[in-house]
Amino acid sequence: MIVAHVRGHHTRPEELDEHARASWLGRLDPRAKIVGVVVFVVATALLTQTELILASLLLAVSFGAMSQVPYRHLIRMYLGALPFILVASVSVFLFSGLERGFDMWARTSSCVLALLVLASGTETFELFAGLRRLKVPKLVSALLMLTYKYILILGDELERMKTARTARGFKGGRGLLDGRGLRIISYTAGMVFVRASARADNGYEGLMARGFRMDMKQMRTSRLEAGDFAFMAWFACLSSLLVMFQLGVIQ
Amino acid sequence: MHIPDGLMDPLVAGLGWLEFVVIAAVAIYMSGRRTKDKDLPRIAVLCAGIFVAQMLNFPIGGGTTGHLIGGALFAIMVGPVIAIVGMTVILLIQALMFGDGGLTAFGLNAVNMAIIAPLMGWGVYTMLKPLLSKGEAPSGKAFTAGEAFAIGAGAWASVFVASAACAAELAVSYAVSDGAYGIAATVSVPAMLGYHAVIGVGEAIITVGVAAYVLKVAPEMFKSTASRPAATIGLKSIFSSRIAQATVAILIAFALALPLYFIYSSEGADGLEKTMEDAGIGESEPLLTSPFTYGENYFAALFAGILGFVAVALLGLGMMRVLRAGRPAE
Repeated sequence: MIVAHVRGHHTRPEELDEHARASWLGRLDPRAKIVGVVVFVVATALLTQTELILASLLLAVSFGAMSQVPYRHLIRMYLGALPFILVASVSVFLFSGLERGFDMWARTSSCVLALLVLASGTETFELFAGLRRLKVPKLVSALLMLTYKYILILGDELERMKTARTARGFKGGRGLLDGRGLRIISYTAGMVFVRASARADNGYEGLMARGFRMDMKQMRTSRLEAGDFAFMAWFACLSSLLVMFQLGVIQ
Repeated sequence: MHIPDGLMDPLVAGLGWLEFVVIAAVAIYMSGRRTKDKDLPRIAVLCAGIFVAQMLNFPIGGGTTGHLIGGALFAIMVGPVIAIVGMTVILLIQALMFGDGGLTAFGLNAVNMAIIAPLMGWGVYTMLKPLLSKGEAPSGKAFTAGEAFAIGAGAWASVFVASAACAAELAVSYAVSDGAYGIAATVSVPAMLGYHAVIGVGEAIITVGVAAYVLKVAPEMFKSTASRPAATIGLKSIFSSRIAQATVAILIAFALALPLYFIYSSEGADGLEKTMEDAGIGESEPLLTSPFTYGENYFAALFAGILGFVAVALLGLGMMRVLRAGRPAE
Protein backbone atom coordinates (compact mmCIF):
# COMPACT_ATOMS: atom_id res chain seq x y z
CA MET A 1 0.00 0.00 0.00
CA ILE A 2 1.29 3.39 -0.90
CA VAL A 3 1.24 5.90 1.94
CA ALA A 4 3.07 8.77 0.26
CA HIS A 5 1.87 12.20 1.26
CA VAL A 6 0.47 14.28 -1.61
CA ARG A 7 0.01 17.82 -0.34
CA GLY A 8 -2.39 16.80 2.39
CA HIS A 9 -3.92 13.90 0.48
CA HIS A 10 -3.07 10.28 0.95
CA THR A 11 -2.98 8.31 -2.26
CA ARG A 12 -5.61 5.70 -2.77
CA PRO A 13 -5.45 2.69 -0.43
CA GLU A 14 -5.99 -0.68 -2.12
CA GLU A 15 -8.90 -1.45 0.25
CA LEU A 16 -10.83 1.35 -1.42
CA ASP A 17 -10.87 -0.50 -4.75
CA GLU A 18 -12.16 -3.59 -2.94
CA HIS A 19 -14.85 -1.44 -1.34
CA ALA A 20 -15.71 0.08 -4.72
CA ARG A 21 -16.16 -3.36 -6.25
CA ALA A 22 -18.60 -4.34 -3.49
CA SER A 23 -20.76 -1.17 -3.35
CA TRP A 24 -23.79 -0.31 -5.53
CA LEU A 25 -21.95 2.79 -6.77
CA GLY A 26 -18.95 0.73 -7.78
CA ARG A 27 -21.11 -1.62 -9.82
CA LEU A 28 -22.55 1.18 -11.96
CA ASP A 29 -21.04 1.80 -15.39
CA PRO A 30 -18.20 4.37 -15.01
CA ARG A 31 -19.59 6.39 -17.94
CA ALA A 32 -22.89 6.88 -16.12
CA LYS A 33 -21.08 7.97 -12.95
CA ILE A 34 -18.80 10.41 -14.79
CA VAL A 35 -21.68 11.98 -16.75
CA GLY A 36 -23.94 12.20 -13.67
CA VAL A 37 -21.33 13.80 -11.44
CA VAL A 38 -20.07 16.19 -14.13
CA VAL A 39 -23.63 17.43 -14.74
CA PHE A 40 -24.08 17.96 -11.00
CA VAL A 41 -20.74 19.79 -10.62
CA VAL A 42 -21.42 22.08 -13.59
CA ALA A 43 -24.91 22.91 -12.27
CA THR A 44 -23.54 23.61 -8.78
CA ALA A 45 -20.83 25.88 -10.17
CA LEU A 46 -23.61 28.02 -11.71
CA LEU A 47 -25.46 28.60 -8.42
CA THR A 48 -25.30 31.93 -6.59
CA GLN A 49 -28.37 31.77 -4.30
CA THR A 50 -27.53 30.60 -0.77
CA GLU A 51 -30.58 28.29 -0.38
CA LEU A 52 -29.81 26.53 -3.66
CA ILE A 53 -26.12 26.17 -2.81
CA LEU A 54 -27.11 24.64 0.54
CA ALA A 55 -29.48 22.25 -1.25
CA SER A 56 -26.61 21.26 -3.54
CA LEU A 57 -24.31 20.72 -0.52
CA LEU A 58 -26.98 18.57 1.11
CA LEU A 59 -27.25 16.50 -2.08
CA ALA A 60 -23.47 16.04 -2.22
CA VAL A 61 -23.34 14.97 1.45
CA SER A 62 -26.27 12.57 0.89
CA PHE A 63 -24.53 11.15 -2.17
CA GLY A 64 -21.42 10.56 -0.03
CA ALA A 65 -23.44 8.96 2.77
CA MET A 66 -25.30 6.61 0.41
CA SER A 67 -22.23 5.72 -1.63
CA GLN A 68 -20.83 3.27 0.98
CA VAL A 69 -17.41 4.91 0.59
CA PRO A 70 -15.69 4.84 4.03
CA TYR A 71 -16.52 8.23 5.56
CA ARG A 72 -13.08 8.49 7.21
CA HIS A 73 -11.46 8.34 3.77
CA LEU A 74 -13.85 10.99 2.39
CA ILE A 75 -13.21 13.31 5.34
CA ARG A 76 -9.43 12.87 5.01
CA MET A 77 -9.54 13.64 1.28
CA TYR A 78 -11.83 16.64 1.85
CA LEU A 79 -9.52 18.01 4.55
CA GLY A 80 -6.68 17.85 2.01
CA ALA A 81 -8.60 20.17 -0.33
CA LEU A 82 -9.94 22.38 2.49
CA PRO A 83 -7.03 24.88 2.79
CA PHE A 84 -7.51 26.23 -0.75
CA ILE A 85 -11.30 26.31 -0.34
CA LEU A 86 -10.85 28.30 2.87
CA VAL A 87 -8.37 30.75 1.33
CA ALA A 88 -10.90 31.56 -1.40
CA SER A 89 -13.86 31.70 1.00
CA VAL A 90 -12.10 33.92 3.55
CA SER A 91 -10.93 36.25 0.78
CA VAL A 92 -14.50 36.58 -0.56
CA PHE A 93 -15.78 37.02 3.01
CA LEU A 94 -13.33 39.90 3.62
CA PHE A 95 -14.26 41.72 0.41
CA SER A 96 -17.92 40.82 -0.15
CA GLY A 97 -19.31 39.88 3.25
CA LEU A 98 -20.19 36.81 5.27
CA GLU A 99 -22.97 35.47 3.02
CA ARG A 100 -20.87 35.39 -0.14
CA GLY A 101 -17.92 33.91 1.72
CA PHE A 102 -20.20 31.17 3.06
CA ASP A 103 -21.65 30.62 -0.44
CA MET A 104 -18.15 30.17 -1.81
CA TRP A 105 -17.27 27.58 0.87
CA ALA A 106 -20.53 25.65 0.42
CA ARG A 107 -20.46 25.69 -3.40
CA THR A 108 -16.82 24.61 -3.65
CA SER A 109 -17.26 21.96 -0.93
CA SER A 110 -20.29 20.56 -2.72
CA CYS A 111 -18.37 20.13 -5.99
CA VAL A 112 -15.27 18.72 -4.29
CA LEU A 113 -17.35 16.21 -2.25
CA ALA A 114 -19.21 14.93 -5.33
CA LEU A 115 -15.93 14.51 -7.18
CA LEU A 116 -14.29 12.72 -4.24
CA VAL A 117 -17.22 10.29 -4.00
CA LEU A 118 -16.90 9.58 -7.74
CA ALA A 119 -13.15 8.98 -7.44
CA SER A 120 -13.37 6.93 -4.27
CA GLY A 121 -16.42 4.90 -5.31
CA THR A 122 -14.95 3.78 -8.63
CA GLU A 123 -12.05 1.46 -9.29
CA THR A 124 -9.22 3.56 -10.69
CA PHE A 125 -8.77 1.73 -13.97
CA GLU A 126 -12.57 1.50 -14.44
CA LEU A 127 -12.65 5.29 -14.22
CA PHE A 128 -9.95 5.63 -16.90
CA ALA A 129 -11.71 3.04 -19.07
CA GLY A 130 -14.91 5.05 -18.67
CA LEU A 131 -13.12 8.17 -19.90
CA ARG A 132 -11.82 6.27 -22.94
CA ARG A 133 -15.33 5.09 -23.74
CA LEU A 134 -16.50 8.69 -23.47
CA LYS A 135 -14.13 9.42 -26.40
CA VAL A 136 -11.16 10.85 -24.50
CA PRO A 137 -8.27 10.51 -27.04
CA LYS A 138 -6.52 7.14 -26.87
CA LEU A 139 -3.12 8.78 -26.30
CA VAL A 140 -4.43 10.54 -23.19
CA SER A 141 -6.33 7.54 -21.81
CA ALA A 142 -3.38 5.19 -22.38
CA LEU A 143 -1.06 7.68 -20.68
CA LEU A 144 -3.53 8.02 -17.78
CA MET A 145 -3.50 4.28 -17.20
CA LEU A 146 0.27 3.89 -17.49
CA THR A 147 1.04 7.03 -15.46
CA TYR A 148 -1.18 5.92 -12.60
CA LYS A 149 0.48 2.50 -12.60
CA TYR A 150 3.94 4.08 -12.40
CA ILE A 151 2.88 6.65 -9.77
CA LEU A 152 2.10 3.81 -7.36
CA ILE A 153 5.52 2.24 -7.99
CA LEU A 154 7.51 5.48 -7.87
CA GLY A 155 5.61 6.76 -4.83
CA ASP A 156 6.79 3.74 -2.87
CA GLU A 157 10.30 4.28 -4.26
CA LEU A 158 10.24 7.91 -3.09
CA GLU A 159 9.10 6.88 0.39
CA ARG A 160 12.06 4.48 0.65
CA MET A 161 14.47 7.20 -0.50
CA LYS A 162 13.01 9.66 2.02
CA THR A 163 13.43 7.09 4.80
CA ALA A 164 17.05 6.46 3.77
CA ARG A 165 17.65 10.22 3.64
CA THR A 166 16.19 10.75 7.10
CA ALA A 167 18.24 7.84 8.47
CA ARG A 168 21.38 9.68 7.28
CA GLY A 169 20.37 12.78 9.24
CA PHE A 170 18.65 14.94 6.56
CA LYS A 171 15.98 17.13 8.12
CA GLY A 172 14.46 18.85 5.06
CA GLY A 173 16.70 21.89 4.58
CA ARG A 174 16.50 25.30 6.20
CA GLY A 175 15.40 27.52 3.32
CA LEU A 176 16.16 28.66 -0.22
CA LEU A 177 19.70 29.66 0.82
CA ASP A 178 20.50 26.17 2.11
CA GLY A 179 22.40 24.92 -0.96
CA ARG A 180 23.18 21.48 0.49
CA GLY A 181 19.56 20.84 1.43
CA LEU A 182 18.28 21.86 -2.01
CA ARG A 183 20.95 19.76 -3.73
CA ILE A 184 19.85 16.70 -1.77
CA ILE A 185 16.18 17.33 -2.68
CA SER A 186 17.10 17.80 -6.38
CA TYR A 187 19.14 14.61 -6.42
CA THR A 188 16.29 12.72 -4.75
CA ALA A 189 13.94 13.93 -7.50
CA GLY A 190 16.62 13.12 -10.12
CA MET A 191 16.93 9.60 -8.73
CA VAL A 192 13.16 9.15 -9.04
CA PHE A 193 13.44 9.98 -12.76
CA VAL A 194 16.40 7.69 -13.36
CA ARG A 195 14.82 4.74 -11.55
CA ALA A 196 11.58 5.48 -13.41
CA SER A 197 13.43 5.38 -16.72
CA ALA A 198 14.89 1.96 -15.95
CA ARG A 199 11.44 0.63 -15.14
CA ALA A 200 9.92 2.05 -18.33
CA ASP A 201 11.96 -0.22 -20.60
CA ASN A 202 10.99 -3.36 -18.66
CA GLY A 203 7.41 -2.14 -18.49
CA TYR A 204 7.23 -1.69 -22.26
CA GLU A 205 8.31 -5.26 -22.96
CA GLY A 206 5.79 -6.56 -20.44
CA LEU A 207 3.00 -4.51 -21.99
CA MET A 208 3.80 -5.67 -25.52
CA ALA A 209 3.83 -9.28 -24.31
CA ARG A 210 0.30 -8.73 -22.97
CA GLY A 211 -0.88 -7.36 -26.33
CA PHE A 212 -0.80 -3.63 -25.59
CA ARG A 213 -1.02 -1.50 -28.78
CA MET A 214 -1.22 2.19 -27.82
CA ASP A 215 -4.82 1.87 -26.63
CA MET A 216 -6.84 0.51 -23.73
CA LYS A 217 -8.63 -2.62 -24.89
CA GLN A 218 -11.72 -3.37 -22.83
CA MET A 219 -11.92 -6.89 -21.44
CA ARG A 220 -15.68 -6.50 -21.13
CA THR A 221 -18.01 -4.49 -23.33
CA SER A 222 -20.73 -3.61 -20.88
CA ARG A 223 -23.82 -1.75 -22.00
CA LEU A 224 -25.53 0.92 -19.98
CA GLU A 225 -28.26 -0.75 -17.94
CA ALA A 226 -31.43 0.50 -16.26
CA GLY A 227 -29.54 1.37 -13.05
CA ASP A 228 -27.02 3.46 -14.99
CA PHE A 229 -29.78 5.39 -16.75
CA ALA A 230 -31.59 5.88 -13.44
CA PHE A 231 -28.40 7.28 -11.86
CA MET A 232 -27.83 9.72 -14.74
CA ALA A 233 -31.53 10.72 -14.82
CA TRP A 234 -31.51 11.34 -11.04
CA PHE A 235 -28.52 13.69 -11.27
CA ALA A 236 -29.81 15.34 -14.44
CA CYS A 237 -33.23 16.03 -12.84
CA LEU A 238 -31.80 17.40 -9.60
CA SER A 239 -29.21 19.52 -11.44
CA SER A 240 -31.85 20.86 -13.85
CA LEU A 241 -34.12 21.76 -10.93
CA LEU A 242 -31.31 23.65 -9.19
CA VAL A 243 -30.43 25.56 -12.37
CA MET A 244 -34.10 26.36 -13.12
CA PHE A 245 -34.58 27.76 -9.62
CA GLN A 246 -31.36 29.76 -10.05
CA LEU A 247 -32.49 31.20 -13.39
CA GLY A 248 -35.97 31.97 -12.04
CA VAL A 249 -37.70 29.58 -14.46
CA ILE A 250 -39.31 27.98 -11.37
CA GLN A 251 -40.22 30.37 -8.57
CA MET B 1 -2.26 26.64 -7.85
CA HIS B 2 -5.03 24.05 -8.39
CA ILE B 3 -8.34 25.92 -8.72
CA PRO B 4 -11.29 23.99 -7.21
CA ASP B 5 -14.84 23.84 -8.63
CA GLY B 6 -17.16 26.67 -7.68
CA LEU B 7 -14.42 29.26 -7.29
CA MET B 8 -14.46 30.64 -10.84
CA ASP B 9 -17.20 32.52 -12.65
CA PRO B 10 -18.83 30.13 -15.19
CA LEU B 11 -17.95 32.45 -18.10
CA VAL B 12 -14.26 32.51 -17.14
CA ALA B 13 -14.24 28.74 -16.54
CA GLY B 14 -15.88 28.24 -19.96
CA LEU B 15 -13.26 30.41 -21.63
CA GLY B 16 -10.57 28.33 -19.92
CA TRP B 17 -12.09 25.12 -21.27
CA LEU B 18 -12.30 26.62 -24.77
CA GLU B 19 -8.64 27.65 -24.74
CA PHE B 20 -7.58 24.30 -23.29
CA VAL B 21 -9.54 22.21 -25.82
CA VAL B 22 -8.09 24.08 -28.81
CA ILE B 23 -4.45 23.94 -27.63
CA ALA B 24 -4.73 20.39 -26.26
CA ALA B 25 -6.26 19.13 -29.53
CA VAL B 26 -3.31 20.51 -31.49
CA ALA B 27 -0.81 19.13 -28.94
CA ILE B 28 -2.43 15.66 -28.92
CA TYR B 29 -2.47 15.58 -32.72
CA MET B 30 1.20 16.59 -32.96
CA SER B 31 2.23 14.22 -30.12
CA GLY B 32 0.37 11.35 -31.79
CA ARG B 33 2.38 11.90 -34.98
CA ARG B 34 5.70 12.07 -33.12
CA THR B 35 5.14 9.30 -30.57
CA LYS B 36 5.84 5.66 -31.32
CA ASP B 37 4.42 2.74 -29.30
CA LYS B 38 7.67 2.27 -27.43
CA ASP B 39 7.80 5.94 -26.37
CA LEU B 40 4.53 5.70 -24.47
CA PRO B 41 5.75 3.97 -21.27
CA ARG B 42 8.72 6.36 -21.17
CA ILE B 43 6.44 9.41 -21.37
CA ALA B 44 4.10 7.84 -18.79
CA VAL B 45 7.04 7.24 -16.48
CA LEU B 46 8.09 10.86 -16.91
CA CYS B 47 4.53 11.96 -16.04
CA ALA B 48 4.66 9.73 -12.96
CA GLY B 49 8.12 11.09 -12.14
CA ILE B 50 6.86 14.69 -12.30
CA PHE B 51 3.80 13.73 -10.23
CA VAL B 52 5.99 12.09 -7.58
CA ALA B 53 8.54 14.95 -7.72
CA GLN B 54 5.62 17.28 -6.89
CA MET B 55 5.34 15.41 -3.57
CA LEU B 56 8.83 16.65 -2.62
CA ASN B 57 8.31 19.86 -0.70
CA PHE B 58 11.28 22.21 -0.58
CA PRO B 59 11.86 24.75 2.21
CA ILE B 60 11.24 28.42 1.37
CA GLY B 61 12.06 29.83 4.77
CA GLY B 62 10.01 31.01 7.74
CA GLY B 63 8.57 27.52 8.16
CA THR B 64 6.79 27.49 4.78
CA THR B 65 7.41 25.11 1.90
CA GLY B 66 6.73 24.99 -1.82
CA HIS B 67 6.66 22.14 -4.29
CA LEU B 68 7.79 21.57 -7.83
CA ILE B 69 5.28 22.18 -10.67
CA GLY B 70 7.57 20.54 -13.19
CA GLY B 71 6.16 22.05 -16.40
CA ALA B 72 9.48 23.56 -17.44
CA LEU B 73 11.44 20.43 -16.52
CA PHE B 74 9.05 18.25 -18.54
CA ALA B 75 9.24 20.56 -21.58
CA ILE B 76 13.05 20.88 -21.44
CA MET B 77 13.36 17.08 -21.28
CA VAL B 78 10.92 16.06 -24.04
CA GLY B 79 9.83 19.24 -25.82
CA PRO B 80 6.76 21.42 -25.24
CA VAL B 81 4.20 19.50 -27.29
CA ILE B 82 4.55 16.20 -25.41
CA ALA B 83 4.92 18.14 -22.15
CA ILE B 84 1.48 19.72 -22.69
CA VAL B 85 -0.10 16.27 -23.08
CA GLY B 86 1.89 14.85 -20.17
CA MET B 87 1.05 17.70 -17.78
CA THR B 88 -2.63 17.40 -18.81
CA VAL B 89 -2.53 13.73 -17.81
CA ILE B 90 -0.96 14.62 -14.44
CA LEU B 91 -3.65 17.24 -13.77
CA LEU B 92 -6.42 14.81 -14.80
CA ILE B 93 -5.17 12.24 -12.29
CA GLN B 94 -4.92 14.91 -9.59
CA ALA B 95 -8.45 16.16 -10.31
CA LEU B 96 -10.12 12.77 -10.68
CA MET B 97 -8.29 10.75 -8.05
CA PHE B 98 -7.39 13.30 -5.38
CA GLY B 99 -9.95 16.11 -5.79
CA ASP B 100 -6.98 18.41 -6.38
CA GLY B 101 -8.40 20.96 -8.84
CA GLY B 102 -11.99 20.91 -10.08
CA LEU B 103 -13.73 19.67 -13.21
CA THR B 104 -15.35 22.96 -14.22
CA ALA B 105 -12.02 24.71 -13.47
CA PHE B 106 -10.00 21.99 -15.19
CA GLY B 107 -9.68 24.07 -18.37
CA LEU B 108 -8.14 26.95 -16.43
CA ASN B 109 -5.87 24.67 -14.37
CA ALA B 110 -4.68 23.02 -17.56
CA VAL B 111 -4.13 26.38 -19.27
CA ASN B 112 -1.99 27.56 -16.34
CA MET B 113 0.00 24.46 -15.46
CA ALA B 114 -0.17 22.22 -18.53
CA ILE B 115 0.09 24.84 -21.29
CA ILE B 116 1.49 28.15 -20.06
CA ALA B 117 4.09 26.62 -17.69
CA PRO B 118 5.72 24.21 -20.22
CA LEU B 119 5.54 26.70 -23.12
CA MET B 120 7.00 29.53 -21.04
CA GLY B 121 9.69 27.33 -19.48
CA TRP B 122 10.78 25.82 -22.78
CA GLY B 123 10.52 29.15 -24.64
CA VAL B 124 12.70 31.09 -22.18
CA TYR B 125 15.24 28.23 -21.95
CA THR B 126 15.48 27.88 -25.73
CA MET B 127 15.89 31.62 -26.28
CA LEU B 128 18.48 32.12 -23.53
CA LYS B 129 20.57 29.00 -24.13
CA PRO B 130 22.33 30.15 -27.34
CA LEU B 131 22.93 33.59 -25.83
CA LEU B 132 24.39 32.39 -22.52
CA SER B 133 25.91 29.01 -23.23
CA LYS B 134 29.13 29.10 -25.24
CA GLY B 135 31.49 26.16 -25.63
CA GLU B 136 31.58 22.78 -23.92
CA ALA B 137 30.57 22.02 -20.33
CA PRO B 138 33.52 21.89 -17.89
CA SER B 139 34.70 18.36 -17.08
CA GLY B 140 32.61 16.72 -14.38
CA LYS B 141 29.70 19.11 -14.98
CA ALA B 142 26.50 18.28 -16.86
CA PHE B 143 26.30 21.67 -18.59
CA THR B 144 27.81 25.16 -18.65
CA ALA B 145 26.90 27.84 -16.10
CA GLY B 146 25.10 29.70 -18.91
CA GLU B 147 22.90 26.71 -19.74
CA ALA B 148 22.20 26.16 -16.02
CA PHE B 149 21.07 29.80 -15.82
CA ALA B 150 18.87 29.34 -18.92
CA ILE B 151 17.22 26.26 -17.35
CA GLY B 152 16.71 28.10 -14.06
CA ALA B 153 15.31 31.19 -15.77
CA GLY B 154 12.91 29.02 -17.78
CA ALA B 155 11.72 27.23 -14.62
CA TRP B 156 11.25 30.51 -12.72
CA ALA B 157 9.37 32.14 -15.63
CA SER B 158 7.12 29.09 -15.99
CA VAL B 159 5.96 29.34 -12.37
CA PHE B 160 5.71 33.13 -12.29
CA VAL B 161 3.75 33.54 -15.53
CA ALA B 162 1.44 30.60 -14.70
CA SER B 163 0.71 32.16 -11.30
CA ALA B 164 0.13 35.56 -12.97
CA ALA B 165 -2.42 33.91 -15.27
CA CYS B 166 -4.08 32.24 -12.27
CA ALA B 167 -4.21 35.57 -10.40
CA ALA B 168 -5.75 37.26 -13.46
CA GLU B 169 -8.38 34.50 -13.74
CA LEU B 170 -9.31 34.89 -10.06
CA ALA B 171 -9.46 38.69 -10.39
CA VAL B 172 -11.54 38.55 -13.59
CA SER B 173 -13.96 36.08 -12.00
CA TYR B 174 -14.39 38.43 -9.08
CA ALA B 175 -14.90 41.47 -11.32
CA VAL B 176 -17.38 39.96 -13.79
CA SER B 177 -19.46 38.23 -11.09
CA ASP B 178 -19.59 41.30 -8.86
CA GLY B 179 -17.86 39.42 -6.05
CA ALA B 180 -19.88 36.16 -6.19
CA TYR B 181 -16.91 34.21 -7.57
CA GLY B 182 -13.12 34.57 -7.65
CA ILE B 183 -10.83 36.63 -5.46
CA ALA B 184 -10.39 40.41 -5.63
CA ALA B 185 -7.38 41.58 -7.66
CA THR B 186 -6.08 43.48 -4.63
CA VAL B 187 -5.65 40.12 -2.87
CA SER B 188 -5.08 37.62 -5.69
CA VAL B 189 -2.44 39.51 -7.69
CA PRO B 190 0.03 40.48 -4.91
CA ALA B 191 -0.51 37.20 -3.02
CA MET B 192 -0.07 34.91 -6.04
CA LEU B 193 2.78 36.87 -7.62
CA GLY B 194 4.64 37.50 -4.37
CA TYR B 195 4.43 33.91 -3.17
CA HIS B 196 5.22 32.37 -6.55
CA ALA B 197 8.12 34.72 -7.26
CA VAL B 198 9.79 33.04 -4.26
CA ILE B 199 8.51 29.53 -5.05
CA GLY B 200 9.85 30.06 -8.59
CA VAL B 201 13.38 30.41 -7.16
CA GLY B 202 12.98 27.01 -5.50
CA GLU B 203 11.55 25.57 -8.73
CA ALA B 204 14.57 26.99 -10.64
CA ILE B 205 17.14 25.53 -8.23
CA ILE B 206 15.44 22.11 -8.11
CA THR B 207 14.94 22.01 -11.90
CA VAL B 208 18.63 22.79 -12.52
CA GLY B 209 19.62 20.16 -9.94
CA VAL B 210 17.35 17.47 -11.40
CA ALA B 211 18.44 18.28 -14.98
CA ALA B 212 22.13 18.13 -13.97
CA TYR B 213 21.64 14.80 -12.18
CA VAL B 214 19.62 13.18 -14.96
CA LEU B 215 21.94 14.48 -17.69
CA LYS B 216 24.93 12.96 -15.90
CA VAL B 217 23.36 9.64 -14.92
CA ALA B 218 20.84 8.95 -17.71
CA PRO B 219 21.35 11.40 -20.60
CA GLU B 220 19.12 9.30 -22.87
CA MET B 221 16.13 10.63 -20.88
CA PHE B 222 16.63 14.01 -22.54
CA LYS B 223 14.77 13.52 -25.78
CA SER B 224 16.25 16.62 -27.39
CA THR B 225 13.88 18.57 -29.57
CA ALA B 226 16.69 18.90 -32.10
CA SER B 227 16.60 15.13 -32.67
CA ARG B 228 12.99 15.25 -33.82
CA PRO B 229 12.06 15.88 -37.43
CA ALA B 230 11.06 19.48 -38.16
CA ALA B 231 7.36 20.21 -37.98
CA THR B 232 5.74 19.87 -41.40
CA ILE B 233 3.19 22.64 -40.99
CA GLY B 234 2.69 25.74 -43.09
CA LEU B 235 5.10 28.67 -42.92
CA LYS B 236 7.78 26.02 -42.50
CA SER B 237 10.56 28.36 -43.46
CA ILE B 238 9.73 30.70 -40.59
CA PHE B 239 9.00 28.04 -37.98
CA SER B 240 12.07 25.91 -38.68
CA SER B 241 14.21 28.17 -36.45
CA ARG B 242 14.35 27.08 -32.79
CA ILE B 243 14.36 30.73 -31.71
CA ALA B 244 11.24 31.38 -33.78
CA GLN B 245 9.56 28.31 -32.22
CA ALA B 246 10.51 29.55 -28.75
CA THR B 247 9.11 33.00 -29.59
CA VAL B 248 5.85 31.42 -30.72
CA ALA B 249 5.71 29.35 -27.51
CA ILE B 250 6.12 32.46 -25.34
CA LEU B 251 3.62 34.42 -27.45
CA ILE B 252 1.03 31.62 -27.12
CA ALA B 253 1.55 31.60 -23.35
CA PHE B 254 0.77 35.33 -23.21
CA ALA B 255 -2.03 35.13 -25.80
CA LEU B 256 -3.92 32.61 -23.65
CA ALA B 257 -4.45 35.32 -21.05
CA LEU B 258 -5.76 37.81 -23.67
CA PRO B 259 -9.49 36.94 -23.53
CA LEU B 260 -9.41 37.26 -19.74
CA TYR B 261 -7.65 40.60 -19.72
CA PHE B 262 -10.16 41.87 -22.30
CA ILE B 263 -13.09 41.01 -20.00
CA TYR B 264 -11.38 42.93 -17.24
CA SER B 265 -10.46 45.95 -19.37
CA SER B 266 -11.91 49.29 -18.36
CA GLU B 267 -13.89 51.54 -20.67
CA GLY B 268 -12.54 54.63 -18.90
CA ALA B 269 -10.13 57.14 -20.45
CA ASP B 270 -6.38 56.45 -20.32
CA GLY B 271 -3.91 58.80 -18.63
CA LEU B 272 -3.35 61.10 -21.61
CA GLU B 273 -7.05 61.18 -22.55
CA LYS B 274 -7.99 62.09 -18.97
CA THR B 275 -5.34 64.84 -18.86
CA MET B 276 -6.62 66.21 -22.17
CA GLU B 277 -10.20 66.10 -20.88
CA ASP B 278 -9.20 67.90 -17.68
CA ALA B 279 -7.36 70.55 -19.71
CA GLY B 280 -10.35 70.92 -22.04
CA ILE B 281 -8.37 69.87 -25.13
CA GLY B 282 -10.16 67.81 -27.78
CA GLU B 283 -8.67 65.50 -30.39
CA SER B 284 -8.25 67.13 -33.82
CA GLU B 285 -8.90 65.31 -37.13
CA PRO B 286 -6.22 62.64 -37.75
CA LEU B 287 -3.99 62.95 -40.82
CA LEU B 288 -4.54 59.28 -41.64
CA THR B 289 -7.61 57.23 -40.70
CA SER B 290 -7.10 53.54 -39.99
CA PRO B 291 -9.60 51.07 -41.48
CA PHE B 292 -9.65 49.22 -38.11
CA THR B 293 -11.07 50.26 -34.76
CA TYR B 294 -10.89 48.67 -31.31
CA GLY B 295 -14.62 47.88 -31.55
CA GLU B 296 -17.64 48.83 -29.51
CA ASN B 297 -18.19 45.63 -27.54
CA TYR B 298 -16.21 42.82 -25.91
CA PHE B 299 -16.07 40.45 -28.91
CA ALA B 300 -15.15 43.22 -31.37
CA ALA B 301 -12.37 44.35 -29.01
CA LEU B 302 -11.22 40.75 -28.55
CA PHE B 303 -11.15 40.23 -32.32
CA ALA B 304 -9.16 43.44 -32.76
CA GLY B 305 -6.77 42.29 -30.04
CA ILE B 306 -6.22 38.89 -31.66
CA LEU B 307 -5.76 40.53 -35.08
CA GLY B 308 -3.19 42.93 -33.64
CA PHE B 309 -1.46 40.11 -31.78
CA VAL B 310 -1.13 37.98 -34.94
CA ALA B 311 0.05 40.99 -37.00
CA VAL B 312 2.72 41.95 -34.46
CA ALA B 313 3.84 38.31 -34.05
CA LEU B 314 4.15 37.78 -37.82
CA LEU B 315 5.96 41.10 -38.26
CA GLY B 316 8.39 40.17 -35.48
CA LEU B 317 9.02 36.74 -36.99
CA GLY B 318 9.50 38.27 -40.43
CA MET B 319 12.06 40.76 -39.05
CA MET B 320 13.92 37.90 -37.34
CA ARG B 321 13.95 36.04 -40.64
CA VAL B 322 15.39 39.08 -42.46
CA LEU B 323 18.06 39.58 -39.77
CA ARG B 324 18.93 35.88 -39.88
CA ALA B 325 19.20 35.93 -43.67
CA GLY B 326 21.74 38.77 -43.44
CA ARG B 327 24.07 36.71 -41.19
CA PRO B 328 26.62 34.23 -42.55
CA ALA B 329 25.50 30.57 -42.20
CA GLU B 330 26.86 28.77 -39.07
